Amino acid sequence: MRRLITVLLLALAAAWVAQPAAQAHNVLVGSDPKDGATLDAAPSRVTLVFDQAVRQGYAQVGVTGADGSSWADGSAEVAAERVSVRVKPLPAGGAYVVGYRILSADGHPVTGKITFTLSPGAAGAPATGQAPPRQAAKDAAAAEAAAGGGAGMAVVWIVGALLLLAAGTAVALRRSRPALAAQAQPASGPPPAPEGVQGSGPRPVPEDGPGSGTRPTTEDLPDVEARPTTADLPDAGTHPAAEDLSSSEGRQPEAGAGRRA
Amino acid sequence: MSVSAPTVPRRMSEGRLVAGAFGVCALVAAVAASTFTAQQAVPGIPMPGPLVSVGLPIVRVLLDLSAVAVVGLSLVAKLLGFNDPERTEPVMLRVRPLAVIAAWAWAICALLTIVFQTAELNPGGVPTFGMIADYVESVGTGQGLLFSAACALAAAGIGLMAVRFGEKVPAELRVIVALFGLLPIPVTGHAVNSVWHDPIMVSMEIHVMGAAAWAGGMVATAVFVAPHPHLLAVALPRFSRIATVCVFMVAGSGLITGLGTMALTPGVTLPGALLTSHYGVLVLVKTALVAALVPLAAHIRFRLIPAIRAGRATALVGWAAAEVGVMGLAYGVAVAITRSSIA
Repeated sequence: MRRLITVLLLALAAAWVAQPAAQAHNVLVGSDPKDGATLDAAPSRVTLVFDQAVRQGYAQVGVTGADGSSWADGSAEVAAERVSVRVKPLPAGGAYVVGYRILSADGHPVTGKITFTLSPGAAGAPATGQAPPRQAAKDAAAAEAAAGGGAGMAVVWIVGALLLLAAGTAVALRRSRPALAAQAQPASGPPPAPEGVQGSGPRPVPEDGPGSGTRPTTEDLPDVEARPTTADLPDAGTHPAAEDLSSSEGRQPEAGAGRRA
Repeated sequence: MSVSAPTVPRRMSEGRLVAGAFGVCALVAAVAASTFTAQQAVPGIPMPGPLVSVGLPIVRVLLDLSAVAVVGLSLVAKLLGFNDPERTEPVMLRVRPLAVIAAWAWAICALLTIVFQTAELNPGGVPTFGMIADYVESVGTGQGLLFSAACALAAAGIGLMAVRFGEKVPAELRVIVALFGLLPIPVTGHAVNSVWHDPIMVSMEIHVMGAAAWAGGMVATAVFVAPHPHLLAVALPRFSRIATVCVFMVAGSGLITGLGTMALTPGVTLPGALLTSHYGVLVLVKTALVAALVPLAAHIRFRLIPAIRAGRATALVGWAAAEVGVMGLAYGVAVAITRSSIA
């Protein structure tokens, strides 16, 4: 039981050591155009803003009209926390859905949509086209590599694994040492009492080993009266010895069962 | 003795009932909860097909189940002790090969999960090796699953040595390797972007390991030890002490992780979001499941264990099946909660 707690504590220590570099789940915090907005001028570009950097690759943004027609022009561009896509010239007076599916920083696909409407009198020409936010693309890639840490994370894991396996081996060796010591001097005592089945096991109880080894005569003595080794002792000395023997005889089957290990 | 001999086969089938209750509840809950949290189709974006959207939670829950099985089967050696080999060896002879098989299943499920998650990100086709390599290289989830698979293979190797050499292979080593393989699993879940990131990750690690030890130990004890009253009287009180620790570990770390993740996610206001967001509802469901586990566990702990210690026959298997079924539901919901959107 104490060893199991040791195992758990070691595992928890490994949890501290091997801090997995998990990233958080991305959440859409803003967009241009805003969700549900009614625009007077058709946008040339739709931008979605998340609470943190979006992973490069895997990002998809679609702009769909009410009739199911697709208006996105090209594929989505990721720049840090901004994901944008160019939009073909939109006809005025329609409702549009911007659907997106990005790979969240923690590795989950995040799907969602926003809607916007073009007012019937909207200018067909793109009047509100912002500068494409691609300035930070390179920085974002570098930051992502630093945060995700492909190679660094692997090293951390491997080091953690080795530490933990080393600790586990140490615990295992410490446990097997009493067993080895007991095997090194197996003939120090006669075979244990028939009830004591632990003698045939590969792992004798460490606490029990020396005790049973120092009681060589108990099995030879069916009862206290027949003790040959104490017969030549003076009478005054026999009483404590007899008490010792009888008490150890009474204790042995219980210790041999080993249930309290 | 002549009475108890014919009851052993019947108790074996009861053991299968316990294991089956765990597995079936987990599978059903995983598919149901994943359907509940499925992200709705968005116009203009191709979504993965039904094979992926149903198959991924199934593979993921099978990964969890086999990992729990490895942990539980590794724990059996510790629970039985090593002092009574004449009685424990017949049980261990069945447990050790099963632990190896479960470890292989764990590794295969982890690798399959990588394939399915790649397919989820690249809808509309069978993922190629290049896609899978890209995924593992660029996404921490892939690396975590790969590492978990490697640990599972290591557990299989150590398990094989245990099959060959018996209890000379330390039981602690088997438990450690199995628990270590669980460590990368939380990487596949959510995290938050704040200074509380590290404490919440540790809390998740505690949650995963506590849950595996609790559920795995319970299933393994009910399936393999319950048919032998003498061994049960030794092993169940030992497991009960572990389980008591696990209850508090799992419940506490689960609440910290769930509520902390929600509180630290932008755009989520806590009391309300518990009912409005998928994540919040699943947190409530898991809390309710743990609350349902407590009386079942307490019944076994305070009513049945004294009777089992006294050598009386008890309805342990029935109660264990109920408890393990609730655990399976919680595991199935866990699969969905790691993947649902928080907001």
